[in-house]
Amino acid sequence: MPREADISVNERAFIQQALHENIRLDGRAFDAFRPLDLIFGDEYGVADVKLGKTRVIARISVDVTVPAPERKFDGVFQIVTEFSPMASPAFEIGRPTDAEVILSRILEKAIRRSNALDTESLCIIAGLKCFALRADVHIIDHDGGLIDASCIAVMAALQHFRRPDVLVEGEKARILSVREREPIPLSILHQPLCVSFSYFEEGEVFLVDANLAEEQVRQGEIIVTMNRHGEVCQVAKYGGATMDPLALLNCTNVALQKVKDMSKFIQRKLEEDAKKRDAGGLMAELSAENAR
Amino acid sequence: MAPETELSNLHRADGSATYTHHGYSIIGAVNGPIEVPRRDELPEEATIEVNVRPAAGVGSPKDRQLETLVHNTLRSIILTRSIPRTLVQITLQIRSLPEEAASTGVNPSIAILPHLLHTSLLALLSASIPLSTILTSVLVAIPAAHTQPSTPLLSPTANDLVRAKSIKSVHVFAFSGDKKLLLNESDGVFSYEEWEEACEMAEEACCREKGGVGLAEGMDVDGQSRNLEEWLREVVKEKVAYEQRWKTAT
Amino acid sequence: MATTTTVVLPGDRIPASSLPKPAHKKKPLTLGPGLRHTPPETITSTIAGSLETDHKKNAAWIDFNSGRYLPAAGDLIIATVHTSAGEAFNCLLTPNTATATLPHLSFEGATRKTRPQLPPNSLVYTRVVNAGKHSAPELTCVDPSTGKSEGLGPLKGGMVFAVSLGMARRLLAGRKGGVAVLEVLGGKVGFEITVGRNGVLHVDGGSVKVTLAVGRAVQEVDELALGEKAQRKLAEKVLRSL
Repeated sequence: MPREADISVNERAFIQQALHENIRLDGRAFDAFRPLDLIFGDEYGVADVKLGKTRVIARISVDVTVPAPERKFDGVFQIVTEFSPMASPAFEIGRPTDAEVILSRILEKAIRRSNALDTESLCIIAGLKCFALRADVHIIDHDGGLIDASCIAVMAALQHFRRPDVLVEGEKARILSVREREPIPLSILHQPLCVSFSYFEEGEVFLVDANLAEEQVRQGEIIVTMNRHGEVCQVAKYGGATMDPLALLNCTNVALQKVKDMSKFIQRKLEEDAKKRDAGGLMAELSAENAR
Repeated sequence: MAPETELSNLHRADGSATYTHHGYSIIGAVNGPIEVPRRDELPEEATIEVNVRPAAGVGSPKDRQLETLVHNTLRSIILTRSIPRTLVQITLQIRSLPEEAASTGVNPSIAILPHLLHTSLLALLSASIPLSTILTSVLVAIPAAHTQPSTPLLSPTANDLVRAKSIKSVHVFAFSGDKKLLLNESDGVFSYEEWEEACEMAEEACCREKGGVGLAEGMDVDGQSRNLEEWLREVVKEKVAYEQRWKTAT
Repeated sequence: MATTTTVVLPGDRIPASSLPKPAHKKKPLTLGPGLRHTPPETITSTIAGSLETDHKKNAAWIDFNSGRYLPAAGDLIIATVHTSAGEAFNCLLTPNTATATLPHLSFEGATRKTRPQLPPNSLVYTRVVNAGKHSAPELTCVDPSTGKSEGLGPLKGGMVFAVSLGMARRLLAGRKGGVAVLEVLGGKVGFEITVGRNGVLHVDGGSVKVTLAVGRAVQEVDELALGEKAQRKLAEKVLRSL
């Protein structure tokens, strides 16, 4: 089976030695993210996130289905992560690696089960029709930090997405096309974001946003998901080494600051994008008409 | 309008290209030559693996069909015998489709085929995989006779197809650098004469005239003034200039 | 250096006028990477790049700087030991490729009793002995004529940095490569540098700071395609930070 090539012993020793001297390979501080970039596509609901050399594209699409019989009032929301050999020859389609399983599990916990998206708002007619929302996560380039980047991409794409409006008349529902009525944004309840900490030297050193080389050397990782109000959605720890509970508390404090920064960044990008789309204020005029 | 391209823009893959044309945007990546799994190993030639990944949803049989078409076309231009017992892995990630793509009434996998072929070729060039020749490809649509104009549409945009309303048949042609037909996929009802006309038109748009400047001016439908081979040469020229810029830097 | 570059695409026929004119009639034409000979006398390119010629050596090749490293006999490379089997080490030249063999006895002074012990994932500076397409590449750490290592062997300590294949060639080409940054840095701080044709650069500067500074400086010269003046400026900036 193709596998990610191991890091050489020289690199491993050097990275550890450097961390001992408080130096990271790319000169970053221990609690600094790599430069983050976010570009929205021409369509609604496409977010292209670059975190250093890592690149992830999330895409939201919508369909109409019958809701699950046990959840009549809820729409369907699904996050799909499938790695392709594009990001690394070690990834094979149809044969998930551990990293892929962990990524999809974390996204599931962080976004779906934390109720970031109000699935009830996706219901059209209880028990008969609802929207099925789907978030596809494509890993384009892999240099570590996939979880953080994917989470940013999915949350940004969800906030950017507009679903078509519906007209319900009794038992009949009609989906209105974009031309008939301005599509409406999703109802997002809160914005969870992930911050991964990689720990070294028996939990003495914590790194935020490790790159691939650092990920290969680390003893373990802790992924903290929280929103900008400081509400922790999930904490996951992978890797065997023990860690101090106080260190975990410290992690959540650092994560809160990072999440606040990132939320602000996403918000700014969303506003920039809205301004670009709203060329000449034509959209505002149209939506004002449609509001009635 | 010539396609927009960006070569070698992914850092991890051995070769990559981002290609945008007529609302189609595709990212292509090539890894190779790399180690081939035992079950796929060929003793005398390289194994080629093509993965087409849709923008939304998991791969469907339509994507598998596209993979087979791209695979068969590329196999005839990659010098597989010079790198035996290796794997050349090509991944084509569709990033976005034109908005009107679903309402054109044209088989969507035919409409996207030329773009997939161009993306994979550019990624192969970026990965410096040995090739026997290049390829260029174009879509030709023949509108039904009762609509105007009834002349075939060369490399139409999705919008053109919607406006033409009823399209009788669509054809995709791919030519090698030495003007040989590499691939033809047609869909719809058409006569042999119509096919011939479409084929000639495609050849003119794809291949450079050997003798002269070879730019057919009258044929541009959407302002496509450059011929596809010239475009490809321009892209490679830029790549070489970028790689050699250290020679002239101060 | 060529005054105008000839850009070629795969499948382009190279006309006889573009091929080097040999000084001696007897000297056979040598075709380098990216060129293919189809008998009787058609020469076509197989990759996209610029056509380069050397009249003295009567050689022609295609210059390109993208894609994966392909081994060629005589290349100096930094290989990673994958496993040790029976009589030889299996080494990786680039990630995810088939392994190359490095016999246990092809180290300086190695005998059956004193064969070197290299754990998996250690680095070795080696030379490619042969690289046929139908067999695994063979590596060695000794010069066959003298039996000496000539600087080849296991690399201890230090750090490796990824550079482009073109940069690796430039570093090995000496003065022609136009890399001035190392000279300037070397005037002030001491470090050891090893260049692998496979795009791997090994730097050992004694301390973490020096090693990182040197490695990153070379990477920056590579990525930004810095000219000589800019390289000197960069080197001075790096020296000031140390």
